[in-house]
Amino acid sequence: MITAEHLTKKYGSRLVVDDVTFTAQPGRITGFLGPNGSGKSTTMRILCALTAPTSGRSSVLGQPFHTLPNPGRRVGVLLDASAQHSGRTGREILSLSALLMGLPRARVQQVVDRVGLTRREADARTGTYSLGMRQRLGLAHALLGDPRVLILDEPANGLDPAGIRWMRGLLGTFADGGGTVLLSSHLLHEVEVIADDLVIIGNGRVLAQGTTADLLATPGTHVRSLSDDDALVRELVEAGHSASVTVSGVSTSAGVDDVGRIALAAHIVLTDLRPAGATGLEDLFFDMTAQHARDGVTA
Amino acid sequence: MSTLSLSSPKMMSERSGGIPFSRLFLVELRKQIDTRAGRWLLIVIALVNTALIVLTLTTAEAKYLTWSELTMAASIGQLLLLPLIGVLAATSEWSQRTALTTFALEPRRTRVNLAKLASAAALGLIVMALTLVAGAVANVAGMLWRGGDGSWAMDWSMLFGAALALLLLVAQGIAFGLALLSTPMAIVAYLLLPTLWTVLTAFIDALAAPARWLDMNVTLLPLMAGGDLRPTGWSQLTTSVVVWVGLPLAIGLWRTIRRNVA
Repeated sequence: MITAEHLTKKYGSRLVVDDVTFTAQPGRITGFLGPNGSGKSTTMRILCALTAPTSGRSSVLGQPFHTLPNPGRRVGVLLDASAQHSGRTGREILSLSALLMGLPRARVQQVVDRVGLTRREADARTGTYSLGMRQRLGLAHALLGDPRVLILDEPANGLDPAGIRWMRGLLGTFADGGGTVLLSSHLLHEVEVIADDLVIIGNGRVLAQGTTADLLATPGTHVRSLSDDDALVRELVEAGHSASVTVSGVSTSAGVDDVGRIALAAHIVLTDLRPAGATGLEDLFFDMTAQHARDGVTA
Repeated sequence: MSTLSLSSPKMMSERSGGIPFSRLFLVELRKQIDTRAGRWLLIVIALVNTALIVLTLTTAEAKYLTWSELTMAASIGQLLLLPLIGVLAATSEWSQRTALTTFALEPRRTRVNLAKLASAAALGLIVMALTLVAGAVANVAGMLWRGGDGSWAMDWSMLFGAALALLLLVAQGIAFGLALLSTPMAIVAYLLLPTLWTVLTAFIDALAAPARWLDMNVTLLPLMAGGDLRPTGWSQLTTSVVVWVGLPLAIGLWRTIRRNVA
């Protein structure tokens, strides 16, 4: 479980994180979604006690991160896959952390296998690694201490499609086992399929949050009458819903049941009645962040 | 039970405790010698010391070919270069951005820095011990090859002085690294500032008196010569160490705590 309460971070007069509040629940994958520069990374660094918030509080597993004894055994952190000493081998980096956390030596090879790095790759200096290999090493490092919480900043960045599918499976298994996952991304289609919950952030502010299903379910109905769309719109508006005529019929904010009852009462014959198709997270994300994004389109 | 969970009972039982300082110490010690830069510095120290031993063996008079003399000759390399390993231990966390993992695994940052100091000191003592062995080998070589004196009498006060000087210089390297948090800046500052200060004091008469208290290049000399420092010498050494080691170290510890890791 991860909680952020009114987190705010100012650099000088620049507000990077603005009153961010959310919870990531155990057994669920929480997607932290936002365009580049929206404050995702800063928020995640605050959660890991690497950056001090200007105001607000956060906790991981019920206590502030900086008070966790041996935090690597509880929280797996991957904030930047490139932030590794280029002169050390992947195996050496894992061995150092395993030594620090007090893990048996065999654990290093276990996580190397787990993330699909070959022995040869693990024994090469990270300076020679591709971004995809760095991400795998970073995930291995996050999993090393057998944690109950994962905090991952853009973990899919640099992975090929097969790698992304693999990571999805890995995180799904982790959450099914009761683990808490907070992962950030600016790639919408990734998060759409993997996250149970979403926190959407733009310009440092939380713009929307909830379950992925709720956020994706577009309220509203598409309806078509035999011959009297205009009358249907009037009836719907009178009943307090918004409604308008479109090329293919009528679009309204009313639910399917309400539209059916209203049409029956008004003796209007319907030829088509169905919930408006899910617009997909992409539209939602774009709508919400378009005016906030640095260059308009980052998705 | 998730398939990810590969934990043994031992791993579970250890989960509750914090990280003991001994483990931080071992990790920081290993980090100083497991990179290419660290290894090369150690290799260069060994080469410099070997060269000095060879030079002493070939040019010094036979009566100077003793364990004590050869050990001292072989101590120059680490006095010059080991502090740079200290600088790197402090700055590479930021230049290589490993601070992101280091402080996520141990958020008590001052403990990490103290482990760096302790492990760098330990590395200094290990290197000194190896130098004693090298000096002994050279002493035997001197006896066999040059008919050297070969005395096994060690000037312990000189050895103690050299070891203490080495530890102070290594601490100074770490202090400069922590205070500046940039490898090139810290190395240049470490190599240049004390020398600059020494040069200035040589040219400006008014600075000569304060220099006896504030110039580590001056205050370390009697220590390394193995002489009796007496109260004045120790006070002068302490004062200069407070200024050149204590002050940058305090600044460095403070900066590390305050800094946003990115």
